[in-house]
Amino acid sequence: MNKIIVVLLTILLASCAPKAQRIRVDEKHTHEHGEFTKHYEESLFKISDKGMYSVEMVLKEHALKTGVNAVDIIIHDKEDNDVVGGDIEVVPWMPEMGHGVFEKPVITEKGGGLYTVDNIILIMSGYWELRVIIKKGGMEDTAVFDFRNVTVDKGHDHKMTSAPDDLDLSAGKLTENGMFNVSYTSILEPMPINRIHSWELVVHTPEGNPVSGADISLDGDMPEHGHGLPTQPEVTDELESGKYLVEGLKFSMPGWWVIKFKVRAGGRSDIVKFNLLLKE
Amino acid sequence: MKRFTGQFLIVFNFLFALSIQPVLTMDLHTWSEKEKAVLKSLWIESLPPVPDDPSNMYDNDPRAVALGKRLFFEARLSGNLRVSCATCHPPNMNFVDNLPLAHGMGTTDRRSMPLVGAGYYAWLFWDGRKDSLWAQALGPFESPVEHGFTRTQCASIIIKYYKRQYEEIFGPLPSFSKKDLPPLAKPSLDEPAALKAWISMPVERREDVTRIYANMGKAIAAFVKTIVPTASRFDDYVAAVMNEDPSGMMKALTNEEVKGLRLFLGKAKCTNCHSGPLFTNGDFHNIGVPQPESLPPDNGRSEAIAGVLVDEFNCMSRYSDAQRQDCAELRFIDTDTYKYIGAFKTPTLRNVSERPPYMHAGQFKTLQEVLEFYRDLKPEQRSADLEHGNLTDLELSQLEAFLRTLKSPLTFAK
Repeated sequence: MNKIIVVLLTILLASCAPKAQRIRVDEKHTHEHGEFTKHYEESLFKISDKGMYSVEMVLKEHALKTGVNAVDIIIHDKEDNDVVGGDIEVVPWMPEMGHGVFEKPVITEKGGGLYTVDNIILIMSGYWELRVIIKKGGMEDTAVFDFRNVTVDKGHDHKMTSAPDDLDLSAGKLTENGMFNVSYTSILEPMPINRIHSWELVVHTPEGNPVSGADISLDGDMPEHGHGLPTQPEVTDELESGKYLVEGLKFSMPGWWVIKFKVRAGGRSDIVKFNLLLKE
Repeated sequence: MKRFTGQFLIVFNFLFALSIQPVLTMDLHTWSEKEKAVLKSLWIESLPPVPDDPSNMYDNDPRAVALGKRLFFEARLSGNLRVSCATCHPPNMNFVDNLPLAHGMGTTDRRSMPLVGAGYYAWLFWDGRKDSLWAQALGPFESPVEHGFTRTQCASIIIKYYKRQYEEIFGPLPSFSKKDLPPLAKPSLDEPAALKAWISMPVERREDVTRIYANMGKAIAAFVKTIVPTASRFDDYVAAVMNEDPSGMMKALTNEEVKGLRLFLGKAKCTNCHSGPLFTNGDFHNIGVPQPESLPPDNGRSEAIAGVLVDEFNCMSRYSDAQRQDCAELRFIDTDTYKYIGAFKTPTLRNVSERPPYMHAGQFKTLQEVLEFYRDLKPEQRSADLEHGNLTDLELSQLEAFLRTLKSPLTFAK
C-alpha cells in the first residue's frame, strides 16, 4: 500500500516538473564561435564568453526581485548536446557597486542540461548580474545575464494602501464573522513609539460571556509603508477567564498601524483587525 | 511712465521689506498644535532618565561608574598596550572617532558608533548583535582587530591593578594560580589555538574568569550610560515654542534652519526613522547604501539575529542579572532574517554634524553627500519609509543647516 502511494506521489511530482510547462521554439543564433539554438520561448538566452556553451535562463517569477529568487538554467554545448555533469556556479553581482552577496545560490542538476538555481538572495534593488560559471572537463566559461532594474518586492501581503479618512479606531469590536467580541487596552497610554510594551486582550462571546482557553496569534502591519512590526509579539498568558496578556508589541514609527488577531476557541476561528494612528 | 513704474517698484519693494517680510517670518515660526506635539517629542526635555538595565544590577552604582571610567581609558587591556575604549571613542571628539572604519590593533569592517545616549537602546552595534551595553562593551576586547585581548588577560589585569575597586562592588575575587590563567585563552571560533587553551581550562575556572569579564563589562556600561547630550540650539528653539516666545525662537535658530526643520518634520519625512529626543527609532533599515568595494558584503541585522539569541552575555544568560520577564526585547525579537538583509541601526542625529564620515562603513564624507544620497535614490529603490519628497538643492542645504543645530556638548560622569 505504502509503495503504491510512493509511486503515485512520484508520478504526481514528475508531472509538476517545470520542464512540462516550457514552450519549445528552437531559434537559431549565430555567433562568432558557431551557431547555437535557443530552445525555449520564455527563456533569456546567452552564449558564454568563450563561445563554448549556450545558456537559457527561465525565471520562476515574472522578474527578479529583492529577496529570495529562483531560476532554471538549461545549458547546451556547440553541438547542441545537453551539458550534463557540469560544475555550475551562479554568482549574483552588482557591477556598479562591485559587490555580491554572502549566501551562495544552491544549484541542483536535474538532468538533460537542466539545473535549478535556488536561494538567489538579492540584497538590494538596482542593477544586478547573474554570472553563470560552467566548469567541465577542466575548461571554464561564463555567461552573464544582466538585470538592470531589480526592484523591491513589496510582497503579496504588503500592498501599499493609504489610510481611509474614516478609519475605525475603536479598541473593541466583533470579529469579522461575528464569532467573538474582542477588545484591547495598552498597559502604556498613550501608545508609545519605540518602546516594547504589553496589551491586555479581552475575548467574549457576542452574548458577553468570557472565552477561556483561546488560542490567539497576532501580527502587525503598516499598510502605507509595506512593512510590519519590529518585534514578534505573542499572547503569553491568560490573566483571568477571557482576559489575555499580549507581550512584545513595539511600534517603530508614527502613522497608521493595523494589528490583526486570529482567535481560535471552541473549534471556531475568526479574525479581528484594529487600526491605530500613532502620533510622534 | 517708465520712470513712474520704476519709482513705484522701489516704493513697493521698500514696503515689502518693511511690512510683508516680518509677516512671512512669523509664519515660519507659527506651528500647529500637531506640529508642536512633534517638536515636543524631539525635544531633549522629553528624554527620560537613562532606563535601568535589568541585566546589570550595578549600572547605577557610583563605584561601578568610577571603575568603569578607569577601565574605559585602560590601554593595558589590549594586546599592544595601546588600545582602550577611548581609542575609537575619544571624549574630546564626542566619544566617536572620525575614521570610516574603526581602527584598534587592526581595522574593522565598520565605522565606530557614537556613544551618546547608548544607554537608551535595546540593541547595540550597527547590527544589534548585543542586547545590552555591558554585553556590547565586552565585544571589542576579544576582537583581534580591536583590543586583541582575551578574557583571561582581562581577569589578570583586574586582579593585578583593580582588585580593591572590583571587590568593593562585586565581592571577593577568586584566587588563581598562574597556570589557571593561560594568557591566550578565549572562546573564539576564529582563533583555534586560543579556543583550545580555553576549553582545556576546568569549567569552574572558565566560569570564574567569565564572571570577572562580565563584571568588567557591567562597570564599563555603568560609565558609558552616563554619556548623554545636553540642550542644543534646536532644543532652545523648542523651549521657546513651548513658551510661546517668538523672540526666543528667532534667537535660537535662523530662518534657514527653521525652514530645514519644517522640511525635516514635513515634506522630507525624516521623522519616520529619526524620531524621539535622540532622533532615532533604534530599529534596523536597509536604505540601500552601497558597500565599499574593499569590504566583504555586509548583511547587517539579518546575520546578527541568531547570534544575539545564543550570545553568552544576553539578557537571558547566566551572567545577566535580569529575570526572564525583563527580557522582552530578546524574547520577542523579530526572527524574520530576510526582512533585515542589509539593514543597519538608525543612528542618532544628535551631534551628527560633528562626526563625519557617515553610514555603517563611513561611505559618505559629508552631510551634504548623505542628503544627496537620500534624494537621489531612484523611485524603485525607495521603500515608503524612504520617501523624502522631491527635494531641491536649496531644500537640501536647509535640511543640512537644521541638522547642524543638533550640536551640543555631551555630559558624562566626571
